Amino acid sequence: MASIMNAGGLPSDQPGYSFSNASAPSESSGPRQHAFNPYTDNGGSTLGVTGADFAILAGDTRSTSGYNINTRYAPKLFRIGDDGDSSSRIVLSVVGFAADGNALKERLDAIVKMYKYQHGKPMSVKACAQRLSTILYQKRFFPYYVHAILGGLDDDGKGALYSYDPVGSYEREQCRAAGAAASLIMPFLDNQVNYKNQYIPASGTGHELQPRAIESLPKEDVIGLVKDAFTSATERHIEVGDGLQMLIITKDGIEEIYTPLKRD
Amino acid sequence: MFIARSEYDRGINTFSPEGRLFQVEYSLEAIKLGSTAIGVATSHGVLLGVEKRVTSPLLVSSSIEKIVEIDRHIGCAMSGLQADARSMIEHARVESQNHAFNFNERLRVESCTQAICDLALRFGEGAQGEESIMSRPFGVALLIAGWDEDNGPQLYHAEPSGTFYRYDAKAIGSGSEGAQAELQSEYHRSLTLEEAETLVLKTLKQVMEEKLDSKNVQLASVTKEKGFQIYGDEQMATVVARLEGD
Repeated sequence: MASIMNAGGLPSDQPGYSFSNASAPSESSGPRQHAFNPYTDNGGSTLGVTGADFAILAGDTRSTSGYNINTRYAPKLFRIGDDGDSSSRIVLSVVGFAADGNALKERLDAIVKMYKYQHGKPMSVKACAQRLSTILYQKRFFPYYVHAILGGLDDDGKGALYSYDPVGSYEREQCRAAGAAASLIMPFLDNQVNYKNQYIPASGTGHELQPRAIESLPKEDVIGLVKDAFTSATERHIEVGDGLQMLIITKDGIEEIYTPLKRD
Repeated sequence: MFIARSEYDRGINTFSPEGRLFQVEYSLEAIKLGSTAIGVATSHGVLLGVEKRVTSPLLVSSSIEKIVEIDRHIGCAMSGLQADARSMIEHARVESQNHAFNFNERLRVESCTQAICDLALRFGEGAQGEESIMSRPFGVALLIAGWDEDNGPQLYHAEPSGTFYRYDAKAIGSGSEGAQAELQSEYHRSLTLEEAETLVLKTLKQVMEEKLDSKNVQLASVTKEKGFQIYGDEQMATVVARLEGD
């Protein structure tokens, strides 16, 4: 995502404000060019993992513009359809352009609340997942610049996780990392949650080698994996850090855990 | 009786001093002129039945369409001005498809009924920003039958006044008074779908002016397994034959 924002790949030396001028105009450089830069990359990372009867969404709380830190506490995780009686069982995480993320969260929240009034029941995660997709696709030609992950419990009480691209393609998954450090965290999750590249020792040679069977992990183990993923990402990525917010959805409600990360 | 009303029954949205909307009340009268329609909800599914008034031997009775599908899981029977029902049903179909598109689930039967009733009071001049679609109230009542995940088989009655109620069994149209009394004495909760077929036809038979046969009545059912299904000619013939056998 960052590569689209500034061609160099690395964060630019100027803050990535939408009104910033990429290069100072000079008289000799010919006709003056104007540009409209409606997007900013605010960095950070999110991830989601599901288990048999829970879903965990997590995100760091740092917000950046280029090399600057806007704030050390800007949550990327939101309870959706929460009207104060803690009946909500859906969480949305958004990473990318924070203003778009907030706008998307507000819209989905309003829709989920209206749904409850109109249909007399709370919205299922499956329905919410489809609605989020249509919201994103409706802005196909001026997209919300976000990578969204939606988490909750499905009709059978199992953990449900849906991940999206900025224009609404979505898929239900076991785990997904998004944002600046997605490429650092995702392979770790592949290995530790879906046991990719793990084989049963001495079960054969070459292609005969038996892969380790996937099992649904207990909640405490997943919390450990999430914390490890973020401390490691904080070490290796400058846009990740400050704090880790985790929302754990179970049948009893949504539990929030905050743990500090390195602030360097 | 009508002389006293004359000053207040022209303005569509004008209350009379007694607090009545005459045009809406008159629209309820229009339904009492319509052919009888009956709905019966059982635990196995909902059954709809209508009388078809075959006014001429040259009329093709299959062209009388008084029971229609709204979605795979919702159907509806009408009584009154059928042309008015078209726009209500069109609205319900759009609403149902939009819901499936947006939420990847079936529209609830109650929500569908509410969507239809939202149209009912959109007549007259139209409030600010809201386009009015009708110059007068609808002249048709609907029996909406459906099945959904949350509440199972359901039957709703929607009126031109915009109110709706859920019923176990309901009759509308010209023969509704007699039919409703019959339903009240015959209905019980353990009715099977087959018994409901007989009950609907038996009730229709009592209130119809013509002699009931397989051409001048129409049945339809909504079940969990098969959704909305309109009875074909053969099915109608067997059900009517069973009624005559009793």
